[in-house]
Amino acid sequence: MKKFLALTLSATMALSLAACTGGNTGSTTSGSTTSSGSTTSSGTSSTSGTGTTLKLWSFNVGTLNEKANWDSLIAKFNETNPDIKVEVEIITYADGDTSLSSAIPAGSGPDILFEGPERLVGNYGRAGLMVDLSDLWAEGGADIAEGIKSVSQLDGKYYMYPLSVAAHCMAINYEVFEQAGALQYIDQETRTWTTDNFVKAMEAVRDSGLVATPGIVYCGAQGGDQGTRALVNNLYSDYFVNDDGTSYNANSANNVKALTLLDEMVGNGSLSANAGFAAAEELQAFANGTCAVTFCWNYSNYTQYAAQTQFTPYAVAFPSDDGQPELEMAGPYGFGIFDNGDDAKIEAAKKFVKFVCDDVTAGTEAVKYTGFFPVHADWGDIYADAEDADVRAPFAMMSNYLGRYYNLTGGWTEQRALWWNMLAEILVGGADPQTAADSYVEQVNANIA
Amino acid sequence: MNKKADLSGTSTGYKIFSIVILIALAIFFIFPLYWIVTGSFKDAIAINAREPQWFPVAPILDNYIRLFSKPAFRWLANIVIIAVSAMALTCLTASLAGYALAKKRFIGRNILFTIIICAMALPKQVIVLPLLQEMNFLHLSDNLLAVILPTVGWPFGVFLMKQFSETIPTEILEAARVDGAGEVRTFFTVVFPMIKPGIGALAIFTFVNTWNDYFLQLVMLTSEENFTLPLGIAKLQGEMSSDFGLIMAGACLAALPIVAVFLAFQKYFTQGIAMGAVKG
Amino acid sequence: MAQATATVTQKPGGNKPKETSGMSRALVRRETISGYLFLLPSLIFFIGFVVVPMGICVVYSFLDYGMAGVEGFAGLDNYLRMLSDKTFHKGFINTVLIVVVAVPTVTAFSLWVSSAIYQMSSFTRSFFRCVFYLPVVTGTVAVTVVWKWMFNPYNGLLNQLTGNVGFDWLGNPNTAIWCIIMILFTTSIGQPIVLYVAALGNVDNSIIEAAQVDGATKLQVFWKIKWPAIMPTTLYILVITTINSFQCFALIQLLTSGGPFFSTTTIMYQIFDTVYKYNDFGYANAMGVVLAIIIAIFSAIQFKLAKTD
Repeated sequence: MKKFLALTLSATMALSLAACTGGNTGSTTSGSTTSSGSTTSSGTSSTSGTGTTLKLWSFNVGTLNEKANWDSLIAKFNETNPDIKVEVEIITYADGDTSLSSAIPAGSGPDILFEGPERLVGNYGRAGLMVDLSDLWAEGGADIAEGIKSVSQLDGKYYMYPLSVAAHCMAINYEVFEQAGALQYIDQETRTWTTDNFVKAMEAVRDSGLVATPGIVYCGAQGGDQGTRALVNNLYSDYFVNDDGTSYNANSANNVKALTLLDEMVGNGSLSANAGFAAAEELQAFANGTCAVTFCWNYSNYTQYAAQTQFTPYAVAFPSDDGQPELEMAGPYGFGIFDNGDDAKIEAAKKFVKFVCDDVTAGTEAVKYTGFFPVHADWGDIYADAEDADVRAPFAMMSNYLGRYYNLTGGWTEQRALWWNMLAEILVGGADPQTAADSYVEQVNANIA
Repeated sequence: MNKKADLSGTSTGYKIFSIVILIALAIFFIFPLYWIVTGSFKDAIAINAREPQWFPVAPILDNYIRLFSKPAFRWLANIVIIAVSAMALTCLTASLAGYALAKKRFIGRNILFTIIICAMALPKQVIVLPLLQEMNFLHLSDNLLAVILPTVGWPFGVFLMKQFSETIPTEILEAARVDGAGEVRTFFTVVFPMIKPGIGALAIFTFVNTWNDYFLQLVMLTSEENFTLPLGIAKLQGEMSSDFGLIMAGACLAALPIVAVFLAFQKYFTQGIAMGAVKG
Repeated sequence: MAQATATVTQKPGGNKPKETSGMSRALVRRETISGYLFLLPSLIFFIGFVVVPMGICVVYSFLDYGMAGVEGFAGLDNYLRMLSDKTFHKGFINTVLIVVVAVPTVTAFSLWVSSAIYQMSSFTRSFFRCVFYLPVVTGTVAVTVVWKWMFNPYNGLLNQLTGNVGFDWLGNPNTAIWCIIMILFTTSIGQPIVLYVAALGNVDNSIIEAAQVDGATKLQVFWKIKWPAIMPTTLYILVITTINSFQCFALIQLLTSGGPFFSTTTIMYQIFDTVYKYNDFGYANAMGVVLAIIIAIFSAIQFKLAKTD
């Protein structure tokens, strides 16, 4: 009994300690939290003589999931702008939406967000939460590709200023393909293959018995959907949405043909389909040699899995009936600025974004952290002197195959959930491709408006 | 036909049967922990190997080294502060409130209890948004208190202590009153010793549930120095890759304080059981 | 023996406070004042950080509230939308399946384990109690990492042991929800076992001995003496397990994300998606309120049954 009381007492003491330390950290580090919270609610300026504090939230793109890498960029920025303080918080694709969707309506969201157009433009720009960055585009956007420019805007307002971009491709297990005699089906010069050769190669790998399954079409939700989209769209050279973006296109003749082909390949064992696999599981299976191809490849994934791949992952484009692949962008990744009603903050945020994206030294460093390629064509090959230049080269080559970008079509978030479901229905559940695709298009088109 | 009640005095066959089942289940329950502990000493190749490596062939400390290259101790301290504070406050407030709900005949008792049940029924995933708005209003967001305060308010503990207090015989309370003991004295000298096993259980549950309440920590704590250990490890994961070694090393580190608390409070159940025997 | 059981079965009823009717006004006032004084510390936290946000949730459920802010009063629209929302219907059925399977199995199994271990030596008892509490201790994230590996269709332990390589446990709409229920089961029984062992140990031994002297069988002792005595614990376990099963969420998010074919989408998972992915706060809060009402009805039934027992 006495012991119990002593324990309770010490616990209470720990509590008072908690209250103290909690209070302290609250007052010292969350100064920005409170100030942004109050400005959001009152709409008045909080600029004080001491300068501005900005909250930057970054998704875990490449090695930008390391706070230290951001701090290095911020230190460079502070050399010229000592009065602007930038505080970084890393959020992950696994649960960043949870943090954002609770913090933004509660008034404690970030001032700057580092992500792709899907959230910056499609979600928050569309909801009217973002600042128009047209001035940044006018000053520094001259050498940025038209495709990237078009996805950074909505109705003539630019909600994203981009930093880096890459092409999303696939990869094969080079040694397994070599031993299975399947390398002959790939044009190693251009790293492309035709649909027919893809089918033959996968059958050769299957017959070799070197892997548990030649390839896995992952149909479980959460991320990596660009891989399965690109696979389906490229097989018979079609697009995911129609030309004017008014309708999703999965039920077009060529896309249904592609889905049917995949279904047949699953049927004869030259592919597998797993509704319980998300992209990360498929990559894991590729990395430990369970399967011989991955549909979710880019430089960032290459580095993440480099420590455990005991073979040569060889990047190739998605197979296409005419041998001319059109790849989706991985990214582009860039910055958006939230409109919190405080002009001084917005100006400071723009300064920071402009510095990271347009300053060649800082920008190059930042791009390298993402593992992708700069959006500024004028910067040239920033990896030319890098130690792993030869590893980078194939990914640079993939950029030549970049196709059009359509992540801003209305109802995109809803579309993603249903896309997985449709793939699983056809490839796992045995549904008729045309029927399943028709039903998918009907459901997702309802959200386009 | 009378074999389901308990083990004592039942047939040997049934005893053996239940021990075999218990041991089989124990293996089933221990295995994930075994895999996590051994996995924390493996490298990424061994963890993800196609042929399972039952024991780390070449054990490495790399996962722990990487974990401690981050402010892991700070994160551990944060979650310990949160869990211990929530535990102490919950035990104190819930034992008082549970006793009142079970033994006091006051106006509004039934309505209050209904509200408590409804509050437990409302999912945290929706309540957290107005809660965060409230914390911002109180300038408590990104503060450990933003996790502690709602956890203490969550009425599971009150409900548990009400159930425990209901087993206190009313005659004992009346006897104390006849002896002239005041309300407070009655509680601490008569009620508290009787519900001590309950408080022990409540302490463990509150500690563990607070520790594992990843969702609330995720929403309330945003800056790195306020992260908890589970949150800090989750933030180190890549977009398309999971660092299983780090996850497992973190889980091992996180389990140590929980095991310590469990063993510390387990004693009180034993005491409670002994007391139950004497009581009658 | 009849006498012994009679006194015991009466006991839980006798322990309950009488209703305020039939008490003198002064006594009612005294009890009310002292009652609320005991409740005060708890109520500060409960009202401040649970009841207030809860009230706000109910208000939100009548609003048209999205990422762009409150766009107007929605009346009952958010509630009516559930009637025609097919995902919600599916989620409702899946949720009820989880609850109907998990609650009785968790309760019965933990009672069985507790009866089996509570009279063992203190070390063995502690050992088993710890073991069954382990999945809670290790935390959901790490535990699901292990389960995901065990269920892996190509090199998972389960398929290697059963020689069933290639079968996708979490990707098959017929098995996925059972995998979730199984893991939910392993993470749910720890707490009930701790409580039941304590409760069984607290049953008055002298009454049991008296009954045994009178020739009561084991089964009679259990149902007539122990079962009523542990009723408050049982009620707590039933209500808590029901709530936890209704609100089962992290496992689904980490293991299946509601798939395949929405076969593991529960109301809880849909609420999460609606808030954090689609940012439709009004609708999500309305679903939350409906879920809370469903849980409250289930709990009320359990309280009723426990009282008439």
